[in-house]
Amino acid sequence: MLAWMQETPIAAAISQSLILNAVLSSVHLLGITLLVGSVLVSSLRLMGWAFIAWPADEVTRTTRRGTLLGMAVTIVTGLFLVSPRAVSAAANSFFQTKLALLAAAVTLHFSVYRRASAATAEWRRAPVVGAVGLLLWLGVVVSGAAFILLE
Amino acid sequence: MDAAASQSFLLSIAKSLEQTPIALLVRESLWGFQITVAIHILGMILSVGTIVWMDLRLLGLGMRRVPVSVAYRQLMPWAGAGFVVMLVTGSMLLMAYASKAYENPYFRVKVVALALAGLNALVYHTTIERRIGRWDAQARPPLGARLAGLFSILLWAGVVLAGRMTAYTLY
Repeated sequence: MLAWMQETPIAAAISQSLILNAVLSSVHLLGITLLVGSVLVSSLRLMGWAFIAWPADEVTRTTRRGTLLGMAVTIVTGLFLVSPRAVSAAANSFFQTKLALLAAAVTLHFSVYRRASAATAEWRRAPVVGAVGLLLWLGVVVSGAAFILLE
Repeated sequence: MDAAASQSFLLSIAKSLEQTPIALLVRESLWGFQITVAIHILGMILSVGTIVWMDLRLLGLGMRRVPVSVAYRQLMPWAGAGFVVMLVTGSMLLMAYASKAYENPYFRVKVVALALAGLNALVYHTTIERRIGRWDAQARPPLGARLAGLFSILLWAGVVLAGRMTAYTLY
């Protein structure tokens, strides 16, 4: 499947165009900023480091939408960006780490993180959930940066 | 000073910046460049990622029941800390590749967008925010405040996009 991905005309076009690569990468970074920024604000609330006087739900109702939009933009542009080198990326340990952390972060977001941030009353474990969620997403960013910068 | 003279003046400053110890550390050491870039990106996410939520509050698109002044006080310490990290690492990266950055069209766009974002914030603080007592708790702030939020989002997006384009086209 990775080889097929690499042989699509889209992958060929991306691998041949520096500007297309640069534009995709720029939009990818913009998506990351929205995604991690939204997680950051909601995690700060869950951890009790900001907006303590306000119900978690009041702060995170809109940041959840930012997380989803950022996730959509980042994943779509990310698939395009990796398509020309899908086979070598899959063998790279930084990229493998990034995908594992991404899977964990997405799973957490749609399960216990969602529950904690939608809570209208204070939840005892919310600070831990907020911190773990934020750290997972930061791990995705750092391992992604390592993959790009150290290859 | 005519245009050609000021151009060579800036370029000569750029060339001398590239010879400073910090520039050498970033450019020549084993992981200097990679570590500086990674910290620059994390600082950018902390700063722009929180500024965006202040802007969305000004636009009336986020945290609508939280007063604007509360959102500002809660978000700005994080945005400010991220900004300092971004500015320090950004200056280090600029020093390392000053003459290439000077010649790069995307970097020029980035500098202009950054200056306009600063100007937009200055105008907001000196005019619209002065009367915040009248609209602080409104779910949808007045037009001036919404425009300040919109300009801020667009300009910061421009800074991020032009910054990433610069890295791709810096030879």
